Amino acid sequence: MNLNTDLLTLRSVSKSYGTVPVLHDIDLSIKDGEFLTVLGPSGSGKTTVLRLIGGLEPLTAGEIRLDGQDISRMPINRRPFNTVFQDYALFPHMTVSGNVGYGLSVRHIQRKEIARRVAEALELVQLGRFADRFPAQLSGGQRQRVALARALICQPRLILLDEPLAALDLELRRQMQEFLKSIQREIKTTFLFVTHDQEEAIGMADRICVMQAGHIRQLGTPHELYYKPNCEFVARFFGENNLVAGKLGPVQGEQRPIETALGRLICSISDQLHLKTAPDGASAFAAFRPEALRLADATDSGNRFSGTIADLAFAGSSTVATVTAGADTAVQRLRLRMPSRIDGSALKSGETVSLSFAPHEGHLVLA
Amino acid sequence: MSVAATTQPAEKRLSLLVTVLAFALPVIFVLVPLAIFLVYSFFSVDQGTIVFAPTLGNYARFFTDPIFLPVFWNTIVLCVSVAVICILLAYPAAYFLTTLKGRWRYALLMLLLVPLLMSYVIKIYAIRSILGLNGFLNKALVALGILDQPSTLFVFNMNAILLTLSLLLIPFAILPIFLSLERIPQTLLRASDDLGASGLQTFLRITLPLSLPGVASAASFVFVLAIGDFLTPQMVGGISGFTFGRILYSQFGTAYNWPFGAALSVALAIVVICAILIGERFGRNRGTSI
Repeated sequence: MNLNTDLLTLRSVSKSYGTVPVLHDIDLSIKDGEFLTVLGPSGSGKTTVLRLIGGLEPLTAGEIRLDGQDISRMPINRRPFNTVFQDYALFPHMTVSGNVGYGLSVRHIQRKEIARRVAEALELVQLGRFADRFPAQLSGGQRQRVALARALICQPRLILLDEPLAALDLELRRQMQEFLKSIQREIKTTFLFVTHDQEEAIGMADRICVMQAGHIRQLGTPHELYYKPNCEFVARFFGENNLVAGKLGPVQGEQRPIETALGRLICSISDQLHLKTAPDGASAFAAFRPEALRLADATDSGNRFSGTIADLAFAGSSTVATVTAGADTAVQRLRLRMPSRIDGSALKSGETVSLSFAPHEGHLVLA
Repeated sequence: MSVAATTQPAEKRLSLLVTVLAFALPVIFVLVPLAIFLVYSFFSVDQGTIVFAPTLGNYARFFTDPIFLPVFWNTIVLCVSVAVICILLAYPAAYFLTTLKGRWRYALLMLLLVPLLMSYVIKIYAIRSILGLNGFLNKALVALGILDQPSTLFVFNMNAILLTLSLLLIPFAILPIFLSLERIPQTLLRASDDLGASGLQTFLRITLPLSLPGVASAASFVFVLAIGDFLTPQMVGGISGFTFGRILYSQFGTAYNWPFGAALSVALAIVVICAILIGERFGRNRGTSI
């Protein structure tokens, strides 16, 4: 396992259903051993990517390479990938061990060997006691784990997971997220995980590929996507964010100002060439996270502006304030997240406060 | 308040009436006639009039007379054969239907079921003319060089009954098999492919086992319809094609021995009930459907 070698590469892959295009010219490399999450709203084409890789659908154009070899036309049953389907797709007439051993028995592997590996796989997903049950006798979480065991027993190069946690309730989903992650670490197999839930993506993925309307918008670590979104869509879709529209000013080293309704805001542009080369006066957004926004004191040297508290919402560990700021003609609604305190918030609705965020916590996205 | 008080009892009475009817209709039209048959089977006939004194004579005759048991057994074998032939022919047809897309699937299904709308007697005549000495089957076989001259193998004997019943009852086999095949989620088949199974393996290990409930109900359906049929054997069976249904029919007609006919019906009913129970037993999916 070498995280720096590409296992699978998609090269200008397109897919249309009839005349309706669903994927436009996708390029994507999956590294050996990584946990890659494809994240996008419904209709973004994320499941189609998975189905094309798995061989459930033919490509319209482009190619898929495994270890450098074109597998675009390889039939589904020859591809060394296995899928965990959204509805699990367990065989209802087979027991748990029958389901898990299926991939081995169709390859005519000896019974003894199958039994040994099934026991091993069931042990891994902690279902040893349920070997003789039928799928109908299992809970959702257990079925999920059977589906996982069934996929990983064939020792595939890549495991494809199609929103496998969507049908589970919140608590179970959290448990399964940790469980999936720990299994992935244990068996060191590459996981391609499709989801529309960005919290799920942040929590599990080594890298996230954000998709929208059949395009890949950004590919990077959760940290990169969170703090350096490269477009308005990612900035809005991925976590809570404050976006303030404006016009770019001239570059100042690793920073660049933007003229907005809140005045001139200085934002960081480190390592992002496209922000450096964008012309002066170009439309853009200043983006800063609710937790980067804070109440300013007299000595604060960040981007300062004043605002009015419109609403306060207690959310357990944190409290979220909705703030209106800017001139009457261009009122901005911003969110400010701060740690909750046992003696209640110091702020009151309707209060006018001075706010700021540090330039290195501000970010620019082109409009 | 007063309005509610007056309408409520009326509504209650109506719902009571509906409930009583729902139970009474099957009792009056199904269970009571069956019970009457059962009672009749213990009577006897003396010189054309029914003697209403209980006796086991009819059943003793059924089990001891050398005619009835062999015919009974042969008829069961015949109808099992009909069921097997129907399944073998209907399964590929139903499977083919499920591979079709959208409108074509149901258009073709309808086409296959159209014979059900035709008169039974007309269908039998049509099939008889196909099977006959100058019929299409013989002409085709001679033309293909399989036979030297037209054969009487297909008409007025057991073969004729077997072929005719099979042809008549195939639609009844196609429908349940088609429905059970159609109910199999496509994602199960994709999952099987995904796990490395070939097309044949997927069919044998996923599609076939999951469609067996449909096959079981199709088989019991066809068997029950075949064993109760007396018209087809009568019309295409000739002298050698003697079935239990024909004996039964003659007891109520020419022989005019209703009590003995009733006893034979009871024997037939037991076989039919067994067939339905067996079909139902295998038709259930071992409680494993998701």
